[in-house]
Amino acid sequence: MTRAALITLAILAVGFVAAPFLLGGYELNVLMVALLYVILAVGLNLATGYCGQFSFAQGAFYGIGGYTAGILSRDVGTGFWMNLPAGIVVTGLFGLALGLPALRLKGHFLAIVTIAVQTLVYLGLVQWNSLTGGQNGLAVPPIGETTLFGVRLFEVTSLRDLYWVALVMAAVFVFIAWRLVHSRLGREWVAVREDETLAGAVGLNTTFAKLTAFVASAAFAGGAGVLNAHAMQGVTPDDFQIWISCMVVAMMVVGGRGTFMGPILGAIALTILPELTGELARYKMLIFGVLLVVCVTVAPEGALGRIRKARESRDQAASGRAPAKDPSEASA
Amino acid sequence: MTNFSRRTVLAMTGAALATPSLLRAQSGGTVKIGAMLPLSGPASIEGHQVLKGVEFAIKQANAAGGVFGKPVELAIEDDEANSTRGVTAVRKLIESENVPFIVGTYPTAVVVAANKVSKEYGVPMLSGGSTGAAGTEANTPGDPWFFRCWPDSNGQGHDTAMAIVNTFGAKKVAIIHDSSNYGTTLAAQVTRIVSDAGGEIVSNDSFNVGEADFSTMLTRIRTLKPDAVYIGGWAGDGATIVRQAAGVGLRTQFVGSGSMVSDDFIKLAGPASEGFAVATLYEPSTPNEKGKAFGEAFEAEYGHSAGTLNALGYDSTSIGIEALRRAGESDGRKVQEVLNNGMADFPIAMGPAGTTADYNEIGSVDFKNFIAVIKDGKRTLSGA
Amino acid sequence: MDLFLQYLANGVVVGSSYVLVAVGLTLIFGILHVVNFAHGEFYMLGGYAGITASTAFGLPLPASLAVVAAVSCLLGLGAEALLHRGLKNQDQTSSIIASFGLAVALQNAVMVTMGPQPELMHTELAYKAIELGPVFLPAPRALIPPAMLIIVGALFAALRWTWTGRSLRAMAQHETVARLCGVKVRRVAVITFMLGATLAGVAGFMMSAVYMVHPLVGNMIVLKAFIVVIIGGMGSPLGAAAAGLLLGVIESMTSAYLTNGLRDVVGFLLVIAVLLFRPQGLFGRSLERS
Repeated sequence: MTRAALITLAILAVGFVAAPFLLGGYELNVLMVALLYVILAVGLNLATGYCGQFSFAQGAFYGIGGYTAGILSRDVGTGFWMNLPAGIVVTGLFGLALGLPALRLKGHFLAIVTIAVQTLVYLGLVQWNSLTGGQNGLAVPPIGETTLFGVRLFEVTSLRDLYWVALVMAAVFVFIAWRLVHSRLGREWVAVREDETLAGAVGLNTTFAKLTAFVASAAFAGGAGVLNAHAMQGVTPDDFQIWISCMVVAMMVVGGRGTFMGPILGAIALTILPELTGELARYKMLIFGVLLVVCVTVAPEGALGRIRKARESRDQAASGRAPAKDPSEASA
Repeated sequence: MTNFSRRTVLAMTGAALATPSLLRAQSGGTVKIGAMLPLSGPASIEGHQVLKGVEFAIKQANAAGGVFGKPVELAIEDDEANSTRGVTAVRKLIESENVPFIVGTYPTAVVVAANKVSKEYGVPMLSGGSTGAAGTEANTPGDPWFFRCWPDSNGQGHDTAMAIVNTFGAKKVAIIHDSSNYGTTLAAQVTRIVSDAGGEIVSNDSFNVGEADFSTMLTRIRTLKPDAVYIGGWAGDGATIVRQAAGVGLRTQFVGSGSMVSDDFIKLAGPASEGFAVATLYEPSTPNEKGKAFGEAFEAEYGHSAGTLNALGYDSTSIGIEALRRAGESDGRKVQEVLNNGMADFPIAMGPAGTTADYNEIGSVDFKNFIAVIKDGKRTLSGA
Repeated sequence: MDLFLQYLANGVVVGSSYVLVAVGLTLIFGILHVVNFAHGEFYMLGGYAGITASTAFGLPLPASLAVVAAVSCLLGLGAEALLHRGLKNQDQTSSIIASFGLAVALQNAVMVTMGPQPELMHTELAYKAIELGPVFLPAPRALIPPAMLIIVGALFAALRWTWTGRSLRAMAQHETVARLCGVKVRRVAVITFMLGATLAGVAGFMMSAVYMVHPLVGNMIVLKAFIVVIIGGMGSPLGAAAAGLLLGVIESMTSAYLTNGLRDVVGFLLVIAVLLFRPQGLFGRSLERS
């Protein structure tokens, strides 16, 4: 990670830690939603940004996590701290299942399969009444009191408490993502993204790399889903439509796929911006669509990718060396 | 420099939050009230119709001098029919706009999630179209924070089923419903009551919202020769089904869900809409005096006759404004007290003559639905 | 048996509308490698253009059809500039995201200007019906399969025998070689987009007399079109034509003999099965899927 990224992360961390002391419930609520989207977008970035496996199913995994929590709470009576690992594992397994077609398909085809999966999961949540409660969804208890071996640790009741849980969870997930992309596995993902044939030829297990990317990506969404279910005290299928998946993709793309900070900043920006539209609220979806088109046509590498590119070329110019591979890049 | 411990800071933040909304609400020359409705996404058609009723109620209140001598101003939020967004919207309305009550929202699932939050703040919600029983069932009996001035979907399903069996004398009934919460619960209730009353359910089909072609399903239903077909769902789909039924030669008594009958429905379904019936909360030709006056004023203002969704938005908002007036100050808890106990004399536009905002202990007003039938391309009340 | 024929006819009518939308989608993909999620909006805007022309301006049907074609061509022109020319040298998935953004923008532009309520085209035809033995179809429905046959037939003939058609096919096979042989890439790209948009727009116009048009109507139709395109083999117009009819019939049969609730699910299950076991599509040649 570059120094700039570390500084940005530190500023963000300070801001998010200070927020509960400075802001009211509404602003805090928006930030909590932003943290959930940070987890979703960072997770998606593992599969798409680093490993190059496109997915429009992050919203479905988000929902599967939430419904795992709902079903366990209803049938087994478990609480948040049991549901969280369960949700992550179950969603990871679904991620593995989605990863299987990815072994044969690339690019567009994979994207379309993930759209089909997303739609099927939604229809399943709506129609499998006995398991999911249909359109009514399921009630999920609040996180409430947390005990360890009978000793009461703390209690999560207010929005402020929930916000802290979300912040800690987001921090943990971001840290895990950072460790993953800087591990050997992370470098294998990038190798697969850059040239799968070559990666296979030099002896990397591309099957393993792709499947792990999908599992990790889904598991992140599952974690966010469990938290969301307990925070909202319920799950309904309409909260996990393809629209959510598209939103997460947009956050990752606008921020910069394959950069570490991009999806984090993208998630925060795209959650907060619609709240600021005010009188323009009528046009916010229109603005969102146009923004997406402009972003992809003008800066397909995303805001951060763009900045990085500009800085690299400037550094090269400043150091007086011959511009690297692409002369047009240096003059930009 | 004073050193604040973390505990002190927390306590101070807590105190700041606990400051009564009264203090914060007194600024400005208007009295703000809140509305939260789905204004984008698939439920936006309904959301916009409810909003029209809300705006009309505010216009009337302001023409009559407003509240506390100040004009009423509407703070509106779009919940996108999404629970997460709905919770955010409620917090925004209460914290940033200091509203003493919120009219909202249409999807029942969003109501349930949002009302938990609004109750924490001590701000009551008045239904913006949500009819699902889950909305009021989530209330604590005796201390409701979600108020719906009309019967829930079970009541509607019951009245519809009775009309199918008694008014239309149907023995064999086919059920079609969309997979939304509204359509599913209504269909289940109609199925139950019709069976209890000795009718036979010959088929039960669901469809996904946005599906366009029903011809095969309707052809199959035609072979079952039902005496009546019940359609639970959205008005646009209802009109499509009725039109396509005529196209496949399925001619029988069609009965739809509450908000289906409107002038738009007649326009969209064309001649096929003849004889179509619904159990409805409101009709402009109502024997209810307040309802009649509302219908005439609404038509004079907008140039088209009022539908159920306009009427319920109007009623929820007028009740809220009157409760605010009676509470004497812009304080959510006081408004809730008035809504809970002090509105039984306030007449509303929906329901039979003499219906008032007399909420029962779970915040619902139960009355018998009208049966409206389309005759000669016009909406008429059956038996009225 | 009579009922079976009626179900089959219903399926063919719906399938024909899928064909019109999917053939354009598959052309744009096959020739330009653009995955166009805004294709459903071409359908939606075709419907709105037709209704506005025939209802608001009272134009006769052929004139309304010309208006639909003109609007669609303009849309195609704009979409090409954004989704093809604007995305030169970018990876494949960029077109997915950009076209998705375009779809959202178009939907909401219509939502703001026309309102969210559904619209319907009223024609005298709606009250006439055609009976073929045991099969009974209202006229606006009965017209769709023959119209589809004429339009798609003309398209295939043009692709086969005109110079423009040949250059389109050349582009689909190998862009560089086509360019070397003197094919004007930009012109081909614009024509492809205009063709695709017009096919979808005409479908939207014809269907607006059968179903209703509303701003979000494109969401479902584009998903159906993608199902058809994948089942038929991506980039294969003939495959899309066959698969479109097939999907319409399968959906109709599901609704008739299984349950209507599964209607929309069947297509997606089919897509996943096809991609897993026969990724080149049921009617496609074996190709490298990358």
